[in-house]
Amino acid sequence: MFMRTDGYIPVRSSSREVNEATPVESRRMQAERRDRREQPRHRRAARPVDAGIALVALVVVAAAALRPLLDHLLDRPAVAHWATVFVAITVQAMPFLVLGVVISAAVAAFVPAGFLPRALPRRPALAVPLAAAAGAALPGCECGSVPIAGRLIARGALPAAALAFLLSAPAINPVVLTATAVAFPGRPAVVVARLLASLLTSTVVGLVWARTGRDELLERAYRHRGAEGPPLAVLLSTAQHDLLQAGGFLIVGAATAATLQTVVPRGIIDAVAGAGPLALLALAGLAVVMAICSEADAFVAASLTQFSLTARLGFMVVGPMVDVKLVALQAGTFGRRFALRFAPLTLVVALVCSALVGRWLL
Amino acid sequence: MSAAGGLISLLVGTVLLRLVVTGTYGRYVRVGMGPWLAVAGVAVIALGLVTLVRSAGPQGGAPVDREGTGESQGGGPVDPEGSGEGSAVLEGGVPAGAQVDGADGDGHHGDSRMGWLLLAPIAALLLVAPPTLGSFGVDRGTQVNIRAGGAVLPPLHPGPRPIAMTLLEYGQRAFDHDGASFNGAAVQLTGFVAGTEPGGFRLARYQIACCAADAAPVVLRVVGARSVPARDQWVRITGNFQPGGGEIPLLAASNVVEIRAPEDPYE
Repeated sequence: MFMRTDGYIPVRSSSREVNEATPVESRRMQAERRDRREQPRHRRAARPVDAGIALVALVVVAAAALRPLLDHLLDRPAVAHWATVFVAITVQAMPFLVLGVVISAAVAAFVPAGFLPRALPRRPALAVPLAAAAGAALPGCECGSVPIAGRLIARGALPAAALAFLLSAPAINPVVLTATAVAFPGRPAVVVARLLASLLTSTVVGLVWARTGRDELLERAYRHRGAEGPPLAVLLSTAQHDLLQAGGFLIVGAATAATLQTVVPRGIIDAVAGAGPLALLALAGLAVVMAICSEADAFVAASLTQFSLTARLGFMVVGPMVDVKLVALQAGTFGRRFALRFAPLTLVVALVCSALVGRWLL
Repeated sequence: MSAAGGLISLLVGTVLLRLVVTGTYGRYVRVGMGPWLAVAGVAVIALGLVTLVRSAGPQGGAPVDREGTGESQGGGPVDPEGSGEGSAVLEGGVPAGAQVDGADGDGHHGDSRMGWLLLAPIAALLLVAPPTLGSFGVDRGTQVNIRAGGAVLPPLHPGPRPIAMTLLEYGQRAFDHDGASFNGAAVQLTGFVAGTEPGGFRLARYQIACCAADAAPVVLRVVGARSVPARDQWVRITGNFQPGGGEIPLLAASNVVEIRAPEDPYE
């Protein structure tokens, strides 16, 4: 399932070169590479700026010309269903994405380089749980926290801590917890269980990453260190860049989720309804496939009454941390190879934590 | 593609704002999100405009426009693992500004290419405007469990006019002491036709919490209608509760009016 994102991400020769470079490689060789890479940039710069605008205009005109063909496309119920879900996920995510992009750009513009590493605790054992708890301060859903975590890493924050923040923020912020309380009236234990299981998962994943993770996999986050210049200029160019980048990957994720929702009958999931590990696995799979906003997943979980509370807790813990849309966003922000390792790690930890906390509290 | 990027942002923001102004956004997300969509739309439009102006201005293509161009000294991330074969990226990237620059030049280009994908939903919205969710998803998704919570509702007071209510409330009343709370009152329900049944048809309406991706339908069975409207046709039904529906509540229709899809098609 995670491999699905594979084909969408362009592998660029330059990044491969950087990755293959070894520490012992001489500065001279690096300099030569640098020179080689410089050349295409000059060629691009020579291209007229207006080419891009012309291309956008061309796309719009071509689409308008094709309109009669498209009208009949939506007569097919499956196509219409796909299109509606695709657009819905995209539209729903935009306010949160804009919020995340603006905060991320503000960090790039106004937090001085070198401040984060000095200001934050360096020991993972302290930094990771703190960062996980700090996630409670960011209202919103998962689309917003990805660019912010990417920016924190680029600005020198401990990657394990930024990743813990990335996982916890969409799951434990007050808006989501309130929604959970509303969706499960008279069952405060569900809210507490969600908070604890999500915090635990974020912390454990962060600590595992601090011990065994390879931070160089976060190549994309490091590469986009941000422009220099007057803060306002940095704010604008960073926001513009992040919006397009994250937005593009969001589209990939939304299209994947819409496809899976349209193609995979949910009856398959109902077949394993009930209690036990299979139900937990099934609902975790559903969370990954549905890619719904963390502010809404509690209502869906509440409606899945044929499943045990622990299985539904798993749905709410996994959903904000691993889903097809999120994995696409992570691949775009941190790097594809990172996302392919990080998502399975998070999924396994989230399942174990949900099972433990559910057994204890629910 | 800084200018093109600005144009894409401008398009994204305009389409978002248009969704709010025309009310079409109700097809895709819950109506309460309108103000947030408007704010996001305005912000993205502003961003796109500024980007366009800056790229057209005299300093177009100046270093600040190119992500990562000037970054060089200090604040670079430190690999906590210290060694390991992968530290090459950091070794190469952190101290040498030009190295970041070069890698970023390509990366910037590739990433911006992803931004073009934003034109896909824009095209979909401008050209075909995907409809509200229809009956296709009713049989595929998990239906709302009306019994959940075991709601107990105050009895209705029958009056001269039928009482409008959601399908969910109707279902909850139906399961609450076998519909005793209806008190014989006539009700009015709005939903779409989700297929035929022996002696009538199924009426459905989706509940959404956030957007159409999390929609789950409430389904009722309508009997006593003189004719069965086409599948996916929106209808306003006046009728009375009829016991004996089992797991799917029954509604005895006295009047079925075909209507256009409402502005807020979800409950």
